[in-house]
Amino acid sequence: MITYVARRMVTAVFMLLAIAFVTIALFFGASKDPARAMCGKPCPAETKAKVSAYMQTDQSVVWQYGEFVKGLFVGRTYGEGAQQVECAAPCFGYSFPNRSDVTSLIAERLPVTLSLALGAAVLCLVVGIGLGALSAIRKGGIVDRFSTGFAMFGLSVPTFLVGLLVVQVFGFMLNVLPFSGFVPFSESPAGWAWHLVGPWMVLSFILAAGYIRVTRTQLLNELSADHLVAMTARGASPRQVNRHAVRGVMVPISAMFALDVTALLGGSVIAEKVFSLHGLGDLLLSGVNEADLSIVVGVTLFSAFLIIVGNLLVDLALPLLDPRIRRA
Amino acid sequence: MPDPVLQVDDLTISFSTGATSFDVVRDLSVTLDGGRTLAVVGESGSGKTITGRAIMRLLPRGASARGRILVAGRDMLAADERDLRRARGADVAMVFQDSMSALSPYLDIGAHIAQALRLHGPSVSRRAARARAVQMLERVGIPEPADAVRRFPHEFSGGMRQRAVIAMALVNRPALLIADEPTTALDVTVQAQILGLLRELQEEYGMAMLLISHDFGVVASAADDVLVLYAGREAEYGSLRDIFEEPAHPYTAGLRAATPRLDARLGTAGERTRLRAIPGAPTSLRDAGPGCAFAPRCGLADQVGERCVAEVPLPAPRPTSSAGGAHRAACHLDRLPSPQEAAR
Repeated sequence: MITYVARRMVTAVFMLLAIAFVTIALFFGASKDPARAMCGKPCPAETKAKVSAYMQTDQSVVWQYGEFVKGLFVGRTYGEGAQQVECAAPCFGYSFPNRSDVTSLIAERLPVTLSLALGAAVLCLVVGIGLGALSAIRKGGIVDRFSTGFAMFGLSVPTFLVGLLVVQVFGFMLNVLPFSGFVPFSESPAGWAWHLVGPWMVLSFILAAGYIRVTRTQLLNELSADHLVAMTARGASPRQVNRHAVRGVMVPISAMFALDVTALLGGSVIAEKVFSLHGLGDLLLSGVNEADLSIVVGVTLFSAFLIIVGNLLVDLALPLLDPRIRRA
Repeated sequence: MPDPVLQVDDLTISFSTGATSFDVVRDLSVTLDGGRTLAVVGESGSGKTITGRAIMRLLPRGASARGRILVAGRDMLAADERDLRRARGADVAMVFQDSMSALSPYLDIGAHIAQALRLHGPSVSRRAARARAVQMLERVGIPEPADAVRRFPHEFSGGMRQRAVIAMALVNRPALLIADEPTTALDVTVQAQILGLLRELQEEYGMAMLLISHDFGVVASAADDVLVLYAGREAEYGSLRDIFEEPAHPYTAGLRAATPRLDARLGTAGERTRLRAIPGAPTSLRDAGPGCAFAPRCGLADQVGERCVAEVPLPAPRPTSSAGGAHRAACHLDRLPSPQEAAR
């Protein structure tokens, strides 16, 4: 078990390092020169070279990568003298257009995205597993038919369309939900939840579809599984048998959830746009639009970090559910 | 004479799907004494597995059973849920055909056996149960049982798994063991080992065994009595000798003629022996007409005439050569069929 955990963690670290390199290399070759956007108009070649040197974008990919990794641990300094800018560890780069280190930009936006992602995760698991389980228990019943259709719809409709529909129906037509804005949890938990209900619905709607289907199929398999019949034959009560069936369902659900951490963060870009929330997705989009590569690289890597940590947590939880993995 | 371990009277099992309902087993009666093995044979769909399940009342959704099933004196069809749980795994245990799917992938072998033990003896400590599991594994011939007890089902070979399943079924010393095709998924040498083990344990524990099989080889080496099912009804019942040497039902005779035998002479001039298959395909109670379900495939139905297609034959006593045993066949023919005329 200890070897398993150690191996997973080492893999995670190497994965992050590799992703950092690829991201930096990718944006290094981007057609938009960040120095060009910063030096203003007109931009003589001389000034541009100076700006480039100041932003450290004139160096090789390998050097930039080295600096980036170093910056994560010990911080980074740009320029010198009066123009010197400090970026404290963990430094995810410095956004010159925003005159701020990317780390604080991320820290500012993180609560929004986390609120969105965590709430949507809870909602999609509750709805997905709940509806899936009910469909399996009453196979062919009303709930089953409804949720199978719902799942089909959810899988085939794009996020932005659902988002716009929710805003249109609940925000404008029924006027029961706010369609934009964010209230920090610390300020008013009720207001926080109230403003996020719409985005949660949008984000979890699509993800829930997958959970409905997997839960339904898996539970149906489990409920008719020979080993559960055998358990009954040993004298186990229906409750004991059901408890065992739940375990068989939780293993694939957990594995699936690990993959969906990505979808939650990715989907939040669109949900944030639709509901005018200023989260990480919105930050990333503005970075792309303004050719602010520091933001793009920083947010991409930070998201990668979240995804890898999410996956790591699921990987660590799986052996608790499925003891076979402990031996692997 | 002591009461039989298993007594089944007029068992009818039916499935209902929505508005329609049909029988898969009809009017089955059988008794089985402790220490004896009754083989239930028949083709796929003849109702042998569902009969085994009905005895433990482990019927799938939509299936229901009527009649009476007494296991060690307990009426299984009338018992309430708590009584059933008390009987399952303690009075009557089951060995399934596919040992892989009969074991939970999430529990190690020891946990399975310990579970069987603790479900019927809540006072047994976890450690005592694990220790008992080790003993049981040793008894069924698993090498290094102390190590094997911690292994998961997928780490065992098929034969080892079946041994473990047997250990699990027998840990509470049931009066009746239902073995549903226990050797079908195994290769022939392992089959012989498992059958030998079952016989040995049966003798040791004095339990009755209901052996569900479609393999005459397995039946010949393990059974005392044989019940032949066709389309959910009893075709013939008798001692192993009766069934093998003097089958009274054309179906049984046909099955015998279709089974390869080591002692059959092959290729001698004038007496070339070929296996004779029974023509046609097995039917079900649902599709059977008003008469004998086997009549359309029977080579002797023409000799008997109208009765075969008009009237269902009921099991009736037949002459038997084995002492004290009963021999019954459900056939309108009033003599023993010869193997040659069994198949049309």
